[in-house]
Amino acid sequence: MKKIAYLCLLLAATAANAQTGKSPRFVNHTEFGGLFGRVKYDNPYTGNQEQVDSKTSLTIQTFNGVQLNRRLSAGVTLGMDWYKAALLNPIAGGMRYDLVGRKNVQLFGTLDAGYAFAWFHDDSEGFDTKGGLMVNPGLGIKVGKPGSAAFTLALTYKRQEAHVTKAPLWDQKERFEDRVYNRLALRLGISF
Amino acid sequence: MKPKLLLLCVVAWLCWSCNDQCKETRVVRRFSNVTYSLMELRTQVKAESPRSLVQPGKMYVKGKYLYVNEIKKGIHIIDNGNPASPKFITFINIPGNGDIAVRDNILYADSFCDLVSIDIANPTAPKEVGRVKNVFKTGLFDGGGWSLNESIGAISDQNVEWVEETIAVNCEDNVPPTSWWGGIIWMMADRASFSSGSSASPQSSGGSNGQAGSMARFALDRNFLYAVSQSQMHLFKIDKPAQPVDFTTINLGWGIETIFPYNNKLFIGSATGMFIYDNTNPAEPKQLSNFQHARACDPVVVHEDIAYVTLRAGTACGGGQNQLDLVDVSNPSAPQLIKSYQMENPHGLSIDFPTLFLCEGEHGLKVFDVSERFSVDKNQLAHFEDMHAYDVISLGKTLLLIGEDGFYQYDSSNPKNLRLLSKIPVGKAI
Repeated sequence: MKKIAYLCLLLAATAANAQTGKSPRFVNHTEFGGLFGRVKYDNPYTGNQEQVDSKTSLTIQTFNGVQLNRRLSAGVTLGMDWYKAALLNPIAGGMRYDLVGRKNVQLFGTLDAGYAFAWFHDDSEGFDTKGGLMVNPGLGIKVGKPGSAAFTLALTYKRQEAHVTKAPLWDQKERFEDRVYNRLALRLGISF
Repeated sequence: MKPKLLLLCVVAWLCWSCNDQCKETRVVRRFSNVTYSLMELRTQVKAESPRSLVQPGKMYVKGKYLYVNEIKKGIHIIDNGNPASPKFITFINIPGNGDIAVRDNILYADSFCDLVSIDIANPTAPKEVGRVKNVFKTGLFDGGGWSLNESIGAISDQNVEWVEETIAVNCEDNVPPTSWWGGIIWMMADRASFSSGSSASPQSSGGSNGQAGSMARFALDRNFLYAVSQSQMHLFKIDKPAQPVDFTTINLGWGIETIFPYNNKLFIGSATGMFIYDNTNPAEPKQLSNFQHARACDPVVVHEDIAYVTLRAGTACGGGQNQLDLVDVSNPSAPQLIKSYQMENPHGLSIDFPTLFLCEGEHGLKVFDVSERFSVDKNQLAHFEDMHAYDVISLGKTLLLIGEDGFYQYDSSNPKNLRLLSKIPVGKAI
């Protein structure tokens, strides 16, 4: 999995180096927002009745790349996601593509794919949290003059995997959890 | 228009599908209740063709033969004349067996509530020669308990299985198992234990005894077989080895686990401490002292004036300490702690002074030089991590080790560098 992340980085780097001629224009797109989702599970405290909870997590990320052509920019996205039971740092290859729009308002596509690490997560004793693959495609609106700073509002789908090894309970030999966070990510940001 | 429609579709789809999917997988002990008729069980002790190890329990050595318990099923007899290639000879089917002791040609084994004596003069054709009925009332195997129902002549047993289950969790909490109340009563669960007795070892008198591991619940001393259960010590008179006689029962208190006879004394490991009994008169052991410590599982071995006691915390034993205690027993009426050393998950141990072999469960085997009693931890000679170690018997130049994954023999002439002589892995076809 980590290899895939490195591959993405490599691809992004190669794309950046592919620039010829005039020096490439640097692009930064920094966003913060929420990851919204639900979880449906059997609550053991209520006789295993199925229960649905809403979930909200904070997310920040910054995309740094280069403008490849008039519409497309590619680079590396670094982020931090505060899930309730995991603090994950996705490192991803990313791209932003301007789809349509008038001069000051652009609809753009966004795609980040990579691997999240749990470097900053602090596990309780007996637990071991590991990150996993992440993919985050979506659409956004950019408001601002072309070529200068702009505000963005992006609506994306984020899928994040994680794996937690847990301390077995008294009658267990082994216990682990495979997580897939499926979230709707709504982010505000600036890009220049 | 088109992009807006597309956007709408994407958003709608996203909103429908944003459910976190978290699955917790765990391997859980599952109990199922079964009832066996004693009448039937008592017909089932017989020799069968050799079979592979499935769930090895305790081991016992006498002469060139090894006796390895298959938990709750019976005993493998293994010809160990050549430690580099031990040979399975026979399997004695003994329902509800967990412990072994051998005096001369007679093997004593428990079979749920009964003590069975088996003639092994011809190890290829062992046969039952005696039986003391209904002496053990309850017992534990691998966390599942059994009890004797004398009125109807049956054993109510719990079978234990490990099952993998996967459930949806909320990605956050430490969700308890669905049947968390299922087994609290079996807190004391060890791999095999009886409400009355088991067998162990070294001392001899008259006949020739074998050697048991430190986890043993049977002990032979002179004309008696001592079997400790969870709360009692049963004495069987074995003047006529083939026909053991139920002699007396001594109440010990709760949580008895192991017995180790040494120099006319019985060292009994319990969940609360170590009892020392004076056994000068083998028919009447007298309690000299009770070395109390934290609650944990704890086998004992003794060399000269020092007792080595391990305390094991963990799921089955309660308690919160994993340690090796050195106890001065030069005055058996007042044992004194010498020093405690932190361990990981100590199970059985064996001493071949000055070398102490200590099983650390899934953490493998540790070897210590204990000649300097205050700095045992600084004299760790070796740590073998790539095996599961449950109990160990040191025979001087050979070391026998048993764990969940198999039975190992090592050349221990150089304790720093054990040399594997042979391994019988679990599940290997004969």
